[in-house]
Amino acid sequence: MIKVKAILGNFKRYWFLMTQLISRDFKVKYKRSVLGILWSLLNPILTMAVMAIVFSQMFRFKVEGVNYIVYLMTGIIMFNYFSAASNAGMTSVVENFTLINKVYIPKYIFPVAKCLFVGIDFLLTLIPWLAIIGLSYFGLGQYTCHFNIYFLILPYIFFCMFLFTVGMSLLLSCLSVFLRDVWHIYGIVLTLWNYLTPVFYSIEILPTKLQTLMHFNPMYQFLTAARSIVLYAQRPSFTTLGILGLIGVGMLAIGSLVFRKKQDKFIYYI
Amino acid sequence: MIKIDNVSMKFNLGIEKDFSMKQAFINLFTKKSKRKKDEFWALKDVKLHIKQGEVVGLIGSNGAGKSTLLKVVSGVMKPTKGKVEVHGVISPMIELGAGFDGDLTARENIYLNGAILGYSKKFIDEKFDEIVEFSELRDFLEVPVKNFSSGMTAKLAFSIATIVNPEILIVDEILSVGDIKFQEKSKHKMMEMIKGGTTVLYVSHSLESIKDLCTKVVWLEHGKVIKIGDTKEVCDEYYKEQMK
Repeated sequence: MIKVKAILGNFKRYWFLMTQLISRDFKVKYKRSVLGILWSLLNPILTMAVMAIVFSQMFRFKVEGVNYIVYLMTGIIMFNYFSAASNAGMTSVVENFTLINKVYIPKYIFPVAKCLFVGIDFLLTLIPWLAIIGLSYFGLGQYTCHFNIYFLILPYIFFCMFLFTVGMSLLLSCLSVFLRDVWHIYGIVLTLWNYLTPVFYSIEILPTKLQTLMHFNPMYQFLTAARSIVLYAQRPSFTTLGILGLIGVGMLAIGSLVFRKKQDKFIYYI
Repeated sequence: MIKIDNVSMKFNLGIEKDFSMKQAFINLFTKKSKRKKDEFWALKDVKLHIKQGEVVGLIGSNGAGKSTLLKVVSGVMKPTKGKVEVHGVISPMIELGAGFDGDLTARENIYLNGAILGYSKKFIDEKFDEIVEFSELRDFLEVPVKNFSSGMTAKLAFSIATIVNPEILIVDEILSVGDIKFQEKSKHKMMEMIKGGTTVLYVSHSLESIKDLCTKVVWLEHGKVIKIGDTKEVCDEYYKEQMK
């Protein structure tokens, strides 16, 4: 208990630094662009449009009985968040080496700040996403999705995914300090992971064996839970929700423990 | 205030090359005993106690371990052996401007750098004008720092770092920033802080400024303490040794 308090106190003390790092990322990202922060909104809309056209018009992907565009978008925004945030988090410690080498700052701040920064982008993508769901009432896609009370569970699911992503970032950023190859390896892993997660296809098209294996893919769990709410208006079982929490907290615990154990050695390796 | 007990600091110079496949392959054929040579002790058994209000100068040739010692005290590095105890809030001025982001304006950098040094938002809001005034850069507030000259950057960084009244101030060779006018001003500011009872650890190659400021001097060479004592005495001896 005392430890938790100490950690939270530490967090509070460096919260201002965290916000500064996040706002720096924002400012640098949109420096000298005419539309500026609007891009955070425009970019996902355009990406979604492209993906929707590619998969539903060109490849003619379909998932029986549900609105495919919403199915696809839910997968894309969630997986994109995970991949963008964990990637940025992974490189953040090495990139901020000049700071780490000069001033004492708790190092976990960098990956966490990156996950939050990409998280803001994620929240912005929810706006066009909700709009698409709304448009399904007016005939966008074959089936209508219904806003329902279980939407209130979505923040919980997203939060679990956030914890999972932070844990992953801590682990990867720590590993990549000692072995820079991790950057390259993880790029490949992410591509593979993307295809192994039913982002644009349905799990039913896979052989039964793979379907069982799929349950061990955390991203599959997050996606499925969110989709069952959005597409089927069904509440995920409490077991599922519990598992999601465990995945999030578990990954965070692994990441933090490794990070904490190794962080004093960072300085010799960067 | 600061207690440094038998601190040793080891660097492994071989880390860079040991981490490639090529080197791993070569290592298969070299004996272990031969490889060990890459160890480097930046600090060896350093013992130093500093009381509150003391202004301690660190001197020694390049690579003597002065900056490493400062990093150990400020918590950037954990010593390989020994123990460091620090009581009080530290304000590190190790290399000014390390926390600047070139793409941000001076105004934005004041907040960013302030946050890195551990200031609160409220504190920076309050002191913002004072910082700007001291840095003499009011006309350049909205200019990205990457367009600043090195002198301007240093001035801004110095102004941010010295706005607090820290209990412990760690300074690595910074009094020579900016033009003559600013140098005088910054020296004056340092004097003010010292008079206010701040404990200072000060690294410099300028024996002049060490003699001006310090109450005690530590002479480091090859990671070992050669001598601790009266400012003038140690400085003179050091100078003689260097000129030999």
